[in-house]
Amino acid sequence: MTCEEFRRVLPELGSGHRIEQDAHLKSCGACSDLLEDLNAISREARLLQGSEDPSPWVWNSIEVALRHEGLIRQPQLQHLQTPVPMQGWRLRWLAPLVATVVIVFGVLIYQRGTGQPQLAERQPPPAGVVTANLQPKSAEVMGGEDLQLLKTVSERTPAMRATYEADLRSVNAYIRDAEQSVNSNPNDEVAQQYLSSAYEQKAMVYEMALDRSLP
Amino acid sequence: MQRATSCAVVTILVLAALAAAQTTRQEMHFKVGRRASVSIINQYGAISVKPGTGKVVAITATLYSGKVEVDHSKSRRRVAVFSHLLEGADTETGRVDYEVLVPADASVTLHSTTGPLHVEKLNGDIMLEGTTASVDVRDVSSGHIHVRTLNGPVTLTNVSDGHVDITSVGGDVALNSVNGSVVHVNSSSGKIHYDGDFGDAGDYALTSHSGDIEAIAPAYASIEVVARSVQGTVEKDFPLEPEHTSFVPRAGSAFAGTMGEAASSVKLLSFSGKIHLKKR
Repeated sequence: MTCEEFRRVLPELGSGHRIEQDAHLKSCGACSDLLEDLNAISREARLLQGSEDPSPWVWNSIEVALRHEGLIRQPQLQHLQTPVPMQGWRLRWLAPLVATVVIVFGVLIYQRGTGQPQLAERQPPPAGVVTANLQPKSAEVMGGEDLQLLKTVSERTPAMRATYEADLRSVNAYIRDAEQSVNSNPNDEVAQQYLSSAYEQKAMVYEMALDRSLP
Repeated sequence: MQRATSCAVVTILVLAALAAAQTTRQEMHFKVGRRASVSIINQYGAISVKPGTGKVVAITATLYSGKVEVDHSKSRRRVAVFSHLLEGADTETGRVDYEVLVPADASVTLHSTTGPLHVEKLNGDIMLEGTTASVDVRDVSSGHIHVRTLNGPVTLTNVSDGHVDITSVGGDVALNSVNGSVVHVNSSSGKIHYDGDFGDAGDYALTSHSGDIEAIAPAYASIEVVARSVQGTVEKDFPLEPEHTSFVPRAGSAFAGTMGEAASSVKLLSFSGKIHLKKR
């Protein structure tokens, strides 16, 4: 059996080898190394599948940002609705990623100002007019992601739920006011600063809730 | 009556003895190199960090029950200590108090939900994070100071040449004699208090949603200041040299201007809180 013949049958090669394939592997170091490398990659890939699959929280955070902007109205990803147990320390690296996603979405989308159709549909108040207290009551209702986060906190440390709930409400109010401020004055740097700060706060709340080191 | 008193005393003594029996102290010493990194991850309990002598990290952990363990890992320049909660541990039984001595140039990372967290007299980087933990940092210089809390109050005192970044949702933030190249505070509902001279060539941004902001500065402060509250009021005790801004300053809700040579930039921004720039 030649190397070319061996590599041709390589994709179909199972755990067991035929006599001629075994004979070729014993005599050919290159093909033997190649097969060993492929087996190693295959083994590692199986391990990666479980541990490196992005957490649903990543998708949740993206969805939070998109829903805040009105870009989506219904849950787009079915698996978001399934509560997933915390993955522990191995997912700590996701916390800054989530934070970055939330902040980037918040800032970038609002820097586009009224260019977004969804935002244009809203009736912006005249510049300088404050409308924060005129929000409908429903705006204070938490989104599904926030409730899911609170559920996770409740399961881990019931005593902290009230704290997180109060803070989420506070931060959501901040985001809401900041969004209105940006809508009223899209070119106002200070208004954008408010929005950036508000999203930073929300990202921090999520990070702390997800971080196993802080119950 | 005498018998009842005797019973009460005996009961108290027994309870005290039981509590003492459950409390254990664990001491750890680690030799480290220059600019070592020390991190303490503690779910419940206090962490206090002070400078020690030599290149040694000395940690005393007080455990209040058998439902928590202290683990550690170490390399040449890094020491990490973790409180490891066992099954059934809660805020009381999972509590560990740490007293830590580190080389003054060490960088320190502390996490605790309940705190308090205390750091003093260091010149390395300091990263502190807590949920309801109060944070107290004093007499530090030349390092980055990053603080994050949900509701814990934050106090920084005598910080020089720092790069300060504080984020808190509901905790009050007090900065006394704090200066540096960057001093940023981001709060949602907590109050922000600054008392200092705003240093030289620094970038100061105190931002809140509903919390009030009070900044106290001496008459010799050299600043370019912008203060603005969308819903709240702004007030100043200083006459400022007017300057061009990207927004229209409106009496009572915004002002902008300079004092002295305008060495440092100061932004005081609140959405609905009051802002007051006071003269010391």
